[in-house]
Amino acid sequence: MESEQGRTLLEINGISKYYGSIIALKDISTKVYAGTVTCVLGDNGAGKSTFIKILAGVHQHDDGAVLVEGEPVSFGSPREALDVGIATVYQDLAMVPLMSVWRNFWLGSEPTKFGLGPLKVIDTAKAKQIAVEELGKMGIAIRDPEQPVGTLSGGERQSVAIARAAYFGAKVLILDEPTSALGVKQSGVVLRYIVEARKRGLGVIFITHNPNHAWPVGDRFMILNRGRSLGDYAKEEITLSELTQLMAGGAELEQLQHELASAMDD
Amino acid sequence: MSEAVTEPAEENAESMSTSKAGAAVASAAAAKTDDRLAHRGPFQRLLGQPEIGAVIGAVTVWAFFWAVTQKFGTVAGAQPVLDVAATLGIMSIAVAMLMIGGEFDLSSGAMTGTTGLLVIYLTLEVGELGGAGISYWWAVPLSLAFALALGWWNGFLVERTQLPSFIITLATFFALQGMKLGFAKLLVDNIQVGPLVQAKLDADGLPITEQVEACNPITGETEMVTQEVLRSDYSFFQGIFASEWSRNCHTLASRDFWYSSSILIGLSLMVLAAFVLNFRRRSGGSGGPGLVVFLGGLAAAVFGYWQLHNTDGIGANATWGGLLALGIAVGLYGFATWRFERNNDPGPLRFTSDVIKPGVLGVVAIVLGVVAARLLNSNVGTRLITLDNDSIQTVVAILTVVPAALLIAGALLRRASKGKTPVARLLLGSSLGIVVLAILAMLVTEQGLRATLFVGLISLGLIALSVAAFRAGFTSATARSAVLLLIAGLVTWLAYMVQVESTSVKFRAELFTVMLVGALVVAVWAVISRQFSIRQEFDAGSEQLGRSFGLIGVLLLFIGVVVRLLYVNENELAREIAPAKFSVRILWFIGFAALCTWILARTSFGSWTFAVGGNQAAARQVGVPAARTKTQLFMLVAGAAWLVGMLLAFRLNSLQASTGDGLEFEYIIAAVVGGNLLTGGYGSALGAAIGALIMAMARQGIPFALWNTDWRFLFLGVILLLAAIGNRFIKDRADNLRSE
Repeated sequence: MESEQGRTLLEINGISKYYGSIIALKDISTKVYAGTVTCVLGDNGAGKSTFIKILAGVHQHDDGAVLVEGEPVSFGSPREALDVGIATVYQDLAMVPLMSVWRNFWLGSEPTKFGLGPLKVIDTAKAKQIAVEELGKMGIAIRDPEQPVGTLSGGERQSVAIARAAYFGAKVLILDEPTSALGVKQSGVVLRYIVEARKRGLGVIFITHNPNHAWPVGDRFMILNRGRSLGDYAKEEITLSELTQLMAGGAELEQLQHELASAMDD
Repeated sequence: MSEAVTEPAEENAESMSTSKAGAAVASAAAAKTDDRLAHRGPFQRLLGQPEIGAVIGAVTVWAFFWAVTQKFGTVAGAQPVLDVAATLGIMSIAVAMLMIGGEFDLSSGAMTGTTGLLVIYLTLEVGELGGAGISYWWAVPLSLAFALALGWWNGFLVERTQLPSFIITLATFFALQGMKLGFAKLLVDNIQVGPLVQAKLDADGLPITEQVEACNPITGETEMVTQEVLRSDYSFFQGIFASEWSRNCHTLASRDFWYSSSILIGLSLMVLAAFVLNFRRRSGGSGGPGLVVFLGGLAAAVFGYWQLHNTDGIGANATWGGLLALGIAVGLYGFATWRFERNNDPGPLRFTSDVIKPGVLGVVAIVLGVVAARLLNSNVGTRLITLDNDSIQTVVAILTVVPAALLIAGALLRRASKGKTPVARLLLGSSLGIVVLAILAMLVTEQGLRATLFVGLISLGLIALSVAAFRAGFTSATARSAVLLLIAGLVTWLAYMVQVESTSVKFRAELFTVMLVGALVVAVWAVISRQFSIRQEFDAGSEQLGRSFGLIGVLLLFIGVVVRLLYVNENELAREIAPAKFSVRILWFIGFAALCTWILARTSFGSWTFAVGGNQAAARQVGVPAARTKTQLFMLVAGAAWLVGMLLAFRLNSLQASTGDGLEFEYIIAAVVGGNLLTGGYGSALGAAIGALIMAMARQGIPFALWNTDWRFLFLGVILLLAAIGNRFIKDRADNLRSE
């Protein structure tokens, strides 16, 4: 568990979350290091979304502590999480499809020249230039930054969001199921950007229910099941098949395989 | 799960594990856009603009009423159009901003009346009149504060309750409507509220009068008139909100010079803008010879224009006009040689079948249009089908025309909308049928049929040929140039044809000139687009230069029109031209449109507006203050309603208690006509302004054409439907082209 590849960015100590009588998360602990990819795996309903929503500032945890570089925090809004360097990229919520690439890239943090109150003037030339450059670093060649994001492919949209988060000084990047709606090739594109982000020293939390996506890019793996952690492993401590087994609930999967096999025999 | 899946490259298992729906979405997205991002030329980008449909619509509606009425194209005809467009436009711009932000405000119409009435109540004398008797210095800002509070309340309720703004603002609308009537009855016991207190009173309470020199708005001569002395607070706000510019009181001898030169330079700059945005900058060489040619052409054009301006007579006009045109054409070619990279491989002159089909269709349609114009008699004003009874005739006309129109429209649209649902097809078909029906029902004279066939077939032909030119561009630049030259030739032919055939001076002179200029531009473009290579990559320098040229060009066109509208010259005054008074409200309209366009394009607030309407959750996620943005948009609408309330109150002096009620849908229609998406996230303030202009033209053009004004609503319905469908069509096309 101590395979340190960088300093500790984020420490989660036994957090829990209850919705009334429902236990959404119970006693989850993990650490996120700079330059590593921590994969959070779990089937539907395992508590993955609750986990990221707490880190992203959408929900507050009920027990335990979240430490950002040693400081305990509790976020009241997504903005507060962003301000300490935790950026979240949601699968569906990443972009405003009808808005241009550069506006999407800068949305919420526009580079302004001057102005009063809400009427701050955007430095459009600079904004477009930087958007094109930053996306270029991620390997997306944009010819026209005025192009609506809706005309980009699914993988590219995720990548624009990743590039944006990286540019705005995110230290921890949370990716919520970035590959689940994508085809084979597009998923490969996104996985490449995850590796790219890791190279730049970001701590990446990669949420997925697909161990085949997690395995090639992940350094650490945490498996959630019914709101509880089934363990937190470094890559060398576990194999892909063990991971898959754990994720699906081990014994249950074997049971299912037997049932399916006998059904096929009939 | 097998252990074989250990490499990142081996991801076949992945697509199995994702959900079916997810995979379908992904493959659709992949098929649509692939990984490459196509370059968009200036024309494609123009087509992708939300307001382009409105611009085309405005030009069409204007041309239509210009052609069928005597008064519409004149300055005196422009004045009431602008007057109506101003108040409608200010509101529709604000409503469009709110719509982009994803909300509606049904109380916007009632709010205009509310603020105006409030000022009247606040300033009326205490006592029998039931007013508060305070000065305008307080009353006007107070009504603004009231309006902003009302807007904030709408926004606050929508955000707090999360109910649709439709319901919340409908409640506000009814509350305001009720209060307006209730207070009117309670305070002044009349539904007509006013008039505003204006005159300074003497000790006996009588208005003080004085003798002043004033310009007669009809003759333009100065004369002495007796008028009341106005209170300083009233005259201040009256000046801001309701002062007028009498055209006949402002002569400018060199008006036509300023007017025509700014139009000419403006148009040339717009062509240059299209050049700069379309072609690749040259990488090597000085381009010196090109610069010399450019300057030579420029000099020739200036000389030609100067001579044209100073001479009279048809022969001299043709000579110097020709020199002017030649100078511009040569200058443009020189500019291109100077600035752009030459295209060494323009491709062969070869046409594929998807070029030949629309090309032949276009030529055939144009020839048929001309044949129809020659065969039918333009002087026969009687109806084609004449029955004893007028109403029976209408019924018969409808009964014969409806099925035919629907059948034709359906057949056309089946081709146009391959793969669309049958319902969409039916809707499209029946709407087009209604349009055809409306036109035919009104114009079943031989004269009318001739005009309809001629204009309709020519337009169809030109559109088909444009499609052919566009498609030919995929094969080779040479093929495209050939089609463009064909278009230029046909337009020249048609121009001479119109000049010979037409009985109306405005067609012979004005339309003829416009068509020749159009043909010249197309011909120059045809030659140059073959000679120089088209830019495929992003070039910040060219973008900036092209945009600046385009913007200055539009501004010059605008200035030209303004000069023409605001001033008379001595000739016109001697001919006793009809008077026209332009209200300052038009300035407010232009200013507000510019402000809102700038806000949307250049400020953070603009970005946030698009974002909260396009995808509110995503906007919140990246830290956009969504609730605050929406509340501010509601307050913007309320502020606009206040402005319109002031414009109305100081113009009319007294208001009906029902002022503004029910107009909110006209604002929304104007915004939709202007290309704003009803569901939010897309649109433009400029589009809404143009949409308002279209509606104002329809409202004023119908009485000018001497039709029953009841037809206005049919017109509104047709425009709305056409605009919504047209905008969708254009946008879909533009988006698809982008990804091809």
